[in-house]
Amino acid sequence: MRDLLELTVSALASGCIYGLLALAYLLMTRPTGIINFAVGEWGMVGAFGGFVLLSALEVPYALGLPLVVLVMAAVGWGTERLTVRPLVERGAPVLAPILALLGMLVVFREIVSVGFGPDPRPVPGALGFGRLELGLIAGSYQSFFIIGSTALVFVGIWWFFERTLTGRSFEAVAIDRRAAALMGINLARVTAMAFAAGAMVAGFAGVLVAANVSAHFMMGLPLAIQGFTALVIGGVGRVEGALLGGLILAFTEQFIVRYAPIPAGLAMGVPLVLLILFLLIRPTGLLKAREARA
Amino acid sequence: MKSLAGYFFAAVVLSAIAFVLGSYQTDVYRKLLLWITLALSYNFLFGVSGQVAFSHFTFYGIGAYSIVILTTQLQWPLPLAIVAAVLICVVAALVVAIPATRLEGFYLALATLAFAQLFVVLLNEGGSVTGGTGGLANYRIPEIAGLRITGPWYTIVIVVLMLGTLAVLWRLERSHFGRACRAVRDNPEAAAAMGVDPRRTRIVAYVISSALAGLAGMVYAFVDNTVNPVIFGLENAFLLLFMVIIGGSGSHAGAVIGAVLLYLMPFVLSPLIGHHHALVFGLVMVLAVLFQPQGLIGLWHSLRDRRAASAGRSTP
Amino acid sequence: MSSIALLRVRGLSRRFGGLQAVADLNFDAWSGEVLGVIGPNGAGKSTTFNMIAGALTPSAGSIEFDGQRVDGLPTHAFAARGIMRTFQHNKPFPSMSVLENVMVGMHTRIACSLWQVVAATPAAKHAQAHAAKRAAELIEFVGLKEWIDADVATLSFGQGRLLEIARALAGEPRLMLFDEPAAGLSPSECLRLADVIRAIAARGIAVLLIEHDMRFLMSLAERVIVLNFGRSIAEGTPDQIRVDPAVVEAYLGDLGALSRA
Repeated sequence: MRDLLELTVSALASGCIYGLLALAYLLMTRPTGIINFAVGEWGMVGAFGGFVLLSALEVPYALGLPLVVLVMAAVGWGTERLTVRPLVERGAPVLAPILALLGMLVVFREIVSVGFGPDPRPVPGALGFGRLELGLIAGSYQSFFIIGSTALVFVGIWWFFERTLTGRSFEAVAIDRRAAALMGINLARVTAMAFAAGAMVAGFAGVLVAANVSAHFMMGLPLAIQGFTALVIGGVGRVEGALLGGLILAFTEQFIVRYAPIPAGLAMGVPLVLLILFLLIRPTGLLKAREARA
Repeated sequence: MKSLAGYFFAAVVLSAIAFVLGSYQTDVYRKLLLWITLALSYNFLFGVSGQVAFSHFTFYGIGAYSIVILTTQLQWPLPLAIVAAVLICVVAALVVAIPATRLEGFYLALATLAFAQLFVVLLNEGGSVTGGTGGLANYRIPEIAGLRITGPWYTIVIVVLMLGTLAVLWRLERSHFGRACRAVRDNPEAAAAMGVDPRRTRIVAYVISSALAGLAGMVYAFVDNTVNPVIFGLENAFLLLFMVIIGGSGSHAGAVIGAVLLYLMPFVLSPLIGHHHALVFGLVMVLAVLFQPQGLIGLWHSLRDRRAASAGRSTP
Repeated sequence: MSSIALLRVRGLSRRFGGLQAVADLNFDAWSGEVLGVIGPNGAGKSTTFNMIAGALTPSAGSIEFDGQRVDGLPTHAFAARGIMRTFQHNKPFPSMSVLENVMVGMHTRIACSLWQVVAATPAAKHAQAHAAKRAAELIEFVGLKEWIDADVATLSFGQGRLLEIARALAGEPRLMLFDEPAAGLSPSECLRLADVIRAIAARGIAVLLIEHDMRFLMSLAERVIVLNFGRSIAEGTPDQIRVDPAVVEAYLGDLGALSRA
């Protein structure tokens, strides 16, 4: 029983990471229709940011983590400004920014590889490396931190979209770009904010997960795939879907690894198989986008 | 290239080169020809048919692993193994294409990306059949009628593969099928109104491109005489995409230029940036998309048009 | 004219959720005849058109072409049967030249397999040459001869409309469907368009034309069907329609349109 609960905590934590990555995509895709393949690399950049600030420079976590997130906002904004905005303004086909971002994926990864070398770099956990036991429920400090902070992020984002004017303008742009522009919503600003926000969330996830897996220049692609899978499972239409998809993916993955009689290496195939299955059977995901309100 | 004479001439020239190269240069030359072959078939899938897919190297791998497994583990004679391996590639392509072509652009890219990764995972876990993470090695191309094709003669096989691929794709692209592919890419609604079945067109384009990649894979298997999962992963799939875009997507010449440029670039840049060629590729890719989306071939066309226009102006 | 209508529409209906866009439509179209369909905005013209073109599936009723049911078939099957259409908002293929665009229209008439293409057999070469020649003839027929190798982006709107027509004709249709062909054209372009449409009907092709511009349609159509609220309210010659009380009432909000017709 204890075993099962520990697995549950672990799966919850993983699910939160996947959910955050899916959220990062969603934040950018909804208003712009642009699929940013580089989200995984942004997670990696965040992880290395965590290494530099928290491990190498030993900045306290409470200061270091927000700093990383702020730097990521600049990264996201910069990427949008340099590689996406010129294309959108020129009226390039939708494929163009997606391809440019694919190029950026490689650029980010190589820059980190050149800068930090091929070895994994450690990143500290938020509350150190202890374990917490609350009755039958047990897990690492980091797991609980991940769960708690992810919950906060999702509540915050949900509140932003539902209750603030800026957030509602994001929704408006997602539903109909031209109508939103005609109503005076600044499309360029929304796009820039979307990318900054996406980068912040992805980088945040990267720092969190790096405490467990270390920062490594190849960590981007697996993160990206897990994020995509979570997004497809949960549905692109809703913020909650990202978290739901992440949790379903994590639970399926960890329970199969733990209880199914298949070799560990094949477990890497679980998100891939799930992704393919969902794409074939239910590409719109489990949660439908909200219908227009009267 | 239109005439048989043209192909024959190219075959002779490209084959003759094989006899004057040292062993290191031969390896570079062979790999270059293979990359050109892959770029040509990927260009058809991505540039002409407009399908963003990351599965091209996967079929390269399916072809390679199939031929090796069939000839070394099942001891099939080479001609039979070739036919069987081609069939395996075609069936695999159909299995992927039929459901995947129902998906819109981004989802197709995602599905083929997942498929590509899954292939690598399966190879890694394939035990003694696939050789696991180390792959398969220590085999040689089997004899046919007592003859073993090696050395410059095998390079000629690669030349024939490359020219054959070009010939097939050239003819397809100029035919009603090529127009149908472009029509579906440009405007599927209008294409359907003209009697083109968008789904069937995409499936056929996907199967033909992927089968050609698989065929190239079969030839590749006996170049290094080793196959391992890393070669057929996403890194090379991205590189192929970069080649086609930087060279000029939708154009055979563009695919060739892109392949030659990106394949040879690391050799030139190595003294400067060591192993990190990918950084340059990524940057050039971004620059190409931003400033020259038609690729290098587009640049050549616009320069040529500008010269023609100014020549026209200068005549009284 | 043959004794059986080429196109027979019976009980054609289409709902969109709670909205009945077309209800119980019945009419025939004959070879060589120009049949016009008019009606105020929202009358169901486009919906009807799209059902006959195969772009929409009817909710009820049947569409019979040359004695065979076509409703419910996939869109691309309509061209093979001999039904071709133009688009109101021109939809050319931007990556191809004018000639190549028209050649796409010929897709269902090209009798050559991919194996023959790859092997570059004489049959394949002949099919290609024939297609190019036929396309050139059609381009000349609609009056775009000088633009044959042009990039479609360089065509004016009116020229793009003519390209639509040439491309549809390339499919050797027996029924040509025109979706508001006069929309966006200058008066002189309209005159040329009318000539082209008359020439098409003169070749024995059945023409079905939906149009908002009453004057254009009335000058061209031999028979007119008037739709309102998804139903047919009148059918007859232009002269009969002009004075039909139901039609007058439907257009009461647009007396100007009616008097210009």
